[in-house]
Amino acid sequence: MTTTEMRRTAPRRRRIPVFCAGIAGLLLCIVLSLAFGARSVPVATVIEALLGAAQSRDALVIIDMRLPRTLVGIAVGAALGLAGAIVQGVTRNPLASPTTLGINAGAGLAVVTAIFALGLDRPVQFVWFAFAGGAAAAAFTMALGRRAGDLDPVRLVLGGTVLQLVLVSWTSAVLVFSERTLDEARFWLAGSIAQRDLAALAPVAPAMVIGLLIGAAIAPALDTLALGDEAAKSLGAPVARIRLAGACAVVLLAGSAVAVSGPIAFIGLAAPHLVRPLVGNSHRLLLPSCLIAGPLLLLAADILGRLVARPSEVEVGIVTAFLGAPLLALLARTREVR
Amino acid sequence: MVVETTTPRVTPLIRQRRRAAGLIAVCAVALVLLAILAIASGEVRMPVPSALRAAFGIGDPGEVYVVQEFRAPRLVAGLIAGAGLAIAGAVLQRLFRNPLASPDVMGVTGGASLGAVLVLAAGAGQTSIPLGALGGGLFAAILLGVLGWRSGLPVLRLVLVGLAVQAGLAAAVNLVVVRFPKELAGAAMQWTAGSLYGRTWPEVRGAVIACALVLIALAVQHRTLAVLDLGDESAATLGVAVSAARLRLLLTTVALASLAAALAGPVSFVALAVPHLVRMLAGPPTAATLAATGLAGATLLVGCDLTAQHLLPIEGLPVGVVTATVGAPWLLILMLRESGPAHRRNA
Repeated sequence: MTTTEMRRTAPRRRRIPVFCAGIAGLLLCIVLSLAFGARSVPVATVIEALLGAAQSRDALVIIDMRLPRTLVGIAVGAALGLAGAIVQGVTRNPLASPTTLGINAGAGLAVVTAIFALGLDRPVQFVWFAFAGGAAAAAFTMALGRRAGDLDPVRLVLGGTVLQLVLVSWTSAVLVFSERTLDEARFWLAGSIAQRDLAALAPVAPAMVIGLLIGAAIAPALDTLALGDEAAKSLGAPVARIRLAGACAVVLLAGSAVAVSGPIAFIGLAAPHLVRPLVGNSHRLLLPSCLIAGPLLLLAADILGRLVARPSEVEVGIVTAFLGAPLLALLARTREVR
Repeated sequence: MVVETTTPRVTPLIRQRRRAAGLIAVCAVALVLLAILAIASGEVRMPVPSALRAAFGIGDPGEVYVVQEFRAPRLVAGLIAGAGLAIAGAVLQRLFRNPLASPDVMGVTGGASLGAVLVLAAGAGQTSIPLGALGGGLFAAILLGVLGWRSGLPVLRLVLVGLAVQAGLAAAVNLVVVRFPKELAGAAMQWTAGSLYGRTWPEVRGAVIACALVLIALAVQHRTLAVLDLGDESAATLGVAVSAARLRLLLTTVALASLAAALAGPVSFVALAVPHLVRMLAGPPTAATLAATGLAGATLLVGCDLTAQHLLPIEGLPVGVVTATVGAPWLLILMLRESGPAHRRNA
């Protein structure tokens, strides 16, 4: 508790430089994301292309393929980062993440089922199924995690784990059953922002915006919640209603992210942990910071995925899982987990 | 005022032995019936007597071929995998004094399927899958130990670190599935779903022999396990090198789970749920309940495989889907009870 209070006040002087550094880092990632690929393009050409000055083939690649991909990456990363911060605030569990709620597994099963049953074959068509599947799984996990009208963090994590095992098993059943489905779905299931255009982002953009607005609205309430249920209640905070609103925001944000990109794990877990030591625990700062940290992490992982397997690439979801798994283990190890 | 009754009271220990014996008997009978069913049913229908005769090589050569070359190896694979997974789960739960410790939560079966998939990807053929699974399972166990151990491994940390290990391993499997050609991706999926489909003797033989050896090694160590139950200090007083014994037992168990997974893929929930079920029915662990656990695991897996093959209208359904679907609600009830008031008090 004392360290929490210290953290909340100490870095005030550092805040502006930290924000500036974060934005600079994000800009750098954006530029690199535009410049790197199977064919690397000089930064000068990138800028010319963005300003509409260049007409070369490189400029076309940048404007038609890498720019949409980067924009999708920014949106998805921001949604995941924000969702992670909110879910950790709502459950008061630093190890919770949208994945814990089963959103990724639910979306995976829904998409695979849709491909199998309806014969879909383009990521743009998966959007609504992924969203609905993720939302349904999250709702179910939260129903499991409820106790005495409130969400119990331990039950939430355990229930989510079991639900994931089952959903993944059902997903693989469909994939074993239909080779065509496996062939269509395996790239989506890995989690990727390659070949995504703004048409995939458009349908869920409103959901993202609503999630963002809810997040902004409940940020002060999440600070009150951090004091503990008893204290929050005695201050007159409608604890259960705050949790419900937070949960809705998480479903909207993470659900739309997975709808666009497929399941990308660990961004939602890592972004809040990255910024907490820098800006403190107040959600009024934590949430906006995650809007920078999320895209930063996602684009960095995406660029890394393009670098390690050139001229091919490794899907960003696989990169984040490889990098995030040790991080989760480390957090589970160092945090006093009860 | 309590009045002493004159009826002879059965002491708890004897009652427990009777329960374990009863459970073993029930499972053995069920298993024999299921085995007969498994041998007799399939695309080529045959009456039970002739199926039994065919199993011993008597009768119509076609029937003998079908039974001996297709149904028998599948049955044996299911038997050994079910028993191996359940026993591995029981021993792990005992070693960690943790009701959620099990090869699937700890990433061991995930590691085993990564190993199996890598062997497939390397084009080494089906017969070397047990080796790959063994290597992968041990790798996952080491990873879990290195990442999670910090003066003990409490329930939630175990689950979370196991989750992390699983996530990393799943990403690796995913990478293989995405990178490699369609046909290979299909074979890899078949593995990771947990399936007994198409097992033949050349694949099964090696893993069965290895499983039998590991089971014997575990039986030899059972006394040590019982001593460890007394607590570390008492065990040390009784002359057991605690850490070495625990490590040895752990490695034996992980090997057992990996080899079982090599036979059937990472079939979920058998290792987690069966030991709980046996404990509920037969009480605290003894050698007899461990045997009962093995039989119950075998019964469950063979039963689920028969359900997947014949009862459900979907052809080629992996048995792991059935075990997950059956096991999950049960496990949920269990977990929610674990995290009930008692858990909160300890927290």
